[in-house]
Amino acid sequence: MTTPPFPAELLDACISCGYCLPACPTYQLTKDEASSPRGRINLMKAINLRRIEIDNPVAKEQASFCLGCRACEPVCPAGVQYGSLLEQWRSHAWQGGGPTVFALTTAVRWPVLLRTAGAITRPAKHRAESEYQYLLGCFERLLYAKLSKAMTDVFPQLDINPNQGCCGALHAHNGHPETGARLAHELGDRLDGTIVTTAGGCAAHLAEILGRDRVRELSEWIIDDGALGLDTLRPIEIDGRPARISIQDSCHLRNGLGVSAQIRTIVQRLGDLVELPSAGVCCGAAGTYSILRKQDANAVFRSRLDEIAQLQPDYVAVVNPGCYRQVATQLRRSRHAPRVVHLVELIAAALHT
Amino acid sequence: MVGEGNVRSHPAELISFGRDATPLHEGSADVVALPGSTAEVAAVVQVANRRGLALIPRGAGTNLAAATVPIGGGIVMSLTRMDQVLEVNRGEMLAVVQPGVTTAELGRAADRVGLFYPPDPGSRETCTIGGNIATNAGGLRGLKYGVTRDYVLGLELVLASGETIRTGGRLIKDVAGYDLTRLIVGSEGTLGVVTEATLALRPRPEASTTGVAYFAELAHAAAAVDAILAFGVLPATLEFLDDVCIGVVEDYAGLGLRRDAGALLLFGDDGTEASARLCVEQMAEICRAGGALEITTASQIAEAEDLLAARRCTLPALARVAPITILEDVAVPRPRLVEMVEAVAEITEKLGLACGTFGHAGDGNLHPTLLLERDDKRARQAAEQAVARIFAKAIELGGTISGEHGIGLTKKPYLVDQLGADHLALLQRVKTAFDPAGILNPAKLGS
Ligand SMILES: Cc1cc2nc3c(=O)[nH]c(=O)nc-3n(C[C@H](O)[C@H](O)[C@H](O)COP(=O)(O)OP(=O)(O)OC[C@H]3O[C@@H](n4cnc5c(N)ncnc54)[C@H](O)[C@@H]3O)c2cc1C
Ligand code: SF4
Ligand code: SF4
Repeated sequence: MTTPPFPAELLDACISCGYCLPACPTYQLTKDEASSPRGRINLMKAINLRRIEIDNPVAKEQASFCLGCRACEPVCPAGVQYGSLLEQWRSHAWQGGGPTVFALTTAVRWPVLLRTAGAITRPAKHRAESEYQYLLGCFERLLYAKLSKAMTDVFPQLDINPNQGCCGALHAHNGHPETGARLAHELGDRLDGTIVTTAGGCAAHLAEILGRDRVRELSEWIIDDGALGLDTLRPIEIDGRPARISIQDSCHLRNGLGVSAQIRTIVQRLGDLVELPSAGVCCGAAGTYSILRKQDANAVFRSRLDEIAQLQPDYVAVVNPGCYRQVATQLRRSRHAPRVVHLVELIAAALHT
Repeated sequence: MVGEGNVRSHPAELISFGRDATPLHEGSADVVALPGSTAEVAAVVQVANRRGLALIPRGAGTNLAAATVPIGGGIVMSLTRMDQVLEVNRGEMLAVVQPGVTTAELGRAADRVGLFYPPDPGSRETCTIGGNIATNAGGLRGLKYGVTRDYVLGLELVLASGETIRTGGRLIKDVAGYDLTRLIVGSEGTLGVVTEATLALRPRPEASTTGVAYFAELAHAAAAVDAILAFGVLPATLEFLDDVCIGVVEDYAGLGLRRDAGALLLFGDDGTEASARLCVEQMAEICRAGGALEITTASQIAEAEDLLAARRCTLPALARVAPITILEDVAVPRPRLVEMVEAVAEITEKLGLACGTFGHAGDGNLHPTLLLERDDKRARQAAEQAVARIFAKAIELGGTISGEHGIGLTKKPYLVDQLGADHLALLQRVKTAFDPAGILNPAKLGS
């Protein structure tokens, strides 16, 4: 008999109290227990007990429908490590793939793209002596080169290694945890010192594999480590009044690394913080979710359309390039479209004005 | 009937509906229906009635008595999709809601118009109003504000026959007929399916204040509770935790609670700024006189909320100690609370069981929680003995085997000890009058 796929102690930690249900976006969408964290853990338990097969179609669909947002983790008083269970589940039962994802996870290995995209205006420099290494997320390199540009403008001291590779977060989330871990280690070897990143998703994955102390996400680097004095920033104004700025949290940053207050501290300096009630709820980007499950990703985002229409922010600031794409795409169809920007772009603007 | 997308019949889809928050109890549903309206509920009940199928109403599945476990199969009907707040009326101070609205959601809807829904079970963010009504749920404010029963004005109910009736209504006074509303409250899904509820609201208190007192032993905290109530105040909250519970709550919430204390008493009141403060000061004084090791008061609402939130999550936090948490729910007349606390400690110690005890001390309601390892057969047997002895002691002290969680499957064998044979027989006749074929939540209350 083969060993059960899930470590018993991880599953035993769940006592089925249901505390996590309201935090789960897919439960809120369906109100179906089976699409809740507790429901998914029940499926994993049934798999471990061999009541159902690992490739049971219902279970597979739930493994795929789950956003992997980990909102169920911080609310769980029992300390269930859902994110870890999900990675193992997907490694056995579901590999999110398809041409787009394949393109994403391979294209990033070509450093040349960076320069043609104009991400790095100066020749990519690699000063071995720098303590801080800038990690360029995949989405960032392909779609949001302007973000990297803003980052190097604000922090000229940052070192950029053009041959850094991919951190492997997408691989881990899409059912390839070993590849995900290997890529993270390789990247960790190439970028020695502290890795600074504008991608919440990459930060959480790297912290898990390389250790928390190796990784600094932008906002914690600024606030907790004092990488930038807030007094160097001048509030952004629109028509003579402070800009109204909303935030879309990054799930893995908030739920995995516990970073969210720092973002707010910075935004409060940049303008008026207009908190969206759903700011902490997954936007539906969820790695490659918005590519693989477009309908569901739209549905997950929907609550924000009304909130934005009502609160009318000028900007929605994101802290993860994957969210950048999802929020921008979703708001394109909205009437009251605020501008979607990465936090570092706002910071760059506040430095210059 | 309810739309194909809202029926589940694939075996793997049914797994989660075979159990609820109760450990060690599991059944298997034959089919799950997630209706979206009263008409859909009635249609499903009619099918169950015609075919003689069991029908088990289900809210969020947070109950701790295996009350939704479909042991003989049948249709599990999840009411979670009926989740609309239909009306909040400030002038009449009431709300009309569908059964799948969560307790917390109703609380927020009331709050938006300056009102307040007092019952607040620890599970309030997840559990549903339908489930609260069916279990007559209590919570952390029971002492001053009462329990769910005290807020139910009227119900819409689908009967086992498939007919829809209304009981009560929007009136404060209404004595036309038997008080069926009260009968349905606490009926655990055995007399009908609640499809709509009209609930009384209260004006939102202006302020609330909370304090924490640490004691060397849980019995000392219980004695302080007795002294507080004898003093003549009626605070909103009087909750206590023993050292095991303090440790796990602190592990999760990290509020800086004192781990070296034997017990913690959380006391609080609401009202005007001045009245709440006065009450909390008086309670603090009584705790001090009662030998408290240390007392702190939380002036900030946010801080008070953190303390209450930490208290609410005690049960799941106990899962950090052991994977099986068997929670009991006895309640005794308040002057007997110290005796009950001491009896629990003695019983569990004699049987060599790990136990964390917490509860709504002001209500005389205690949750001794037995902590078991997964495959420990000896402990499993010892736990059964402990439960029986704890129940016997509660009855001996003039208390009850369940203060707020209900009978479900787990306490069914003990109900006759509590009620006596004649009372139980009457319960069964009431059940038969409502549900002659016995299709609604069979093998539970009334069967
Ligand atoms: C962490 C935790 C803390 C808790 N704290 C408290 C507390 O402080 N106080 C307290 O009283 N309880 C508490 N509970 C127990 C539980 O939350 C309550 O019993 C709650 O009322 C159950 O609601 P539910 O929606 O989950 O109902 P379920 O568990 O789904 O069902 C409970 C019962 O109600 C019936 N039912 C559900 N909906 C309907 C309906 N629409 N019509 C007819 N019957 C229906 C079911 O058949 C079943 O018999 C706690 C539970 C947990 C896990
Ligand atoms: S994952 Fe945590 S919060 Fe969710 S049911 Fe299990 S123990 Fe409760
Ligand atoms: S990771 Fe997100 S979507 Fe998946 S179960 Fe947890 S809360 Fe739900």
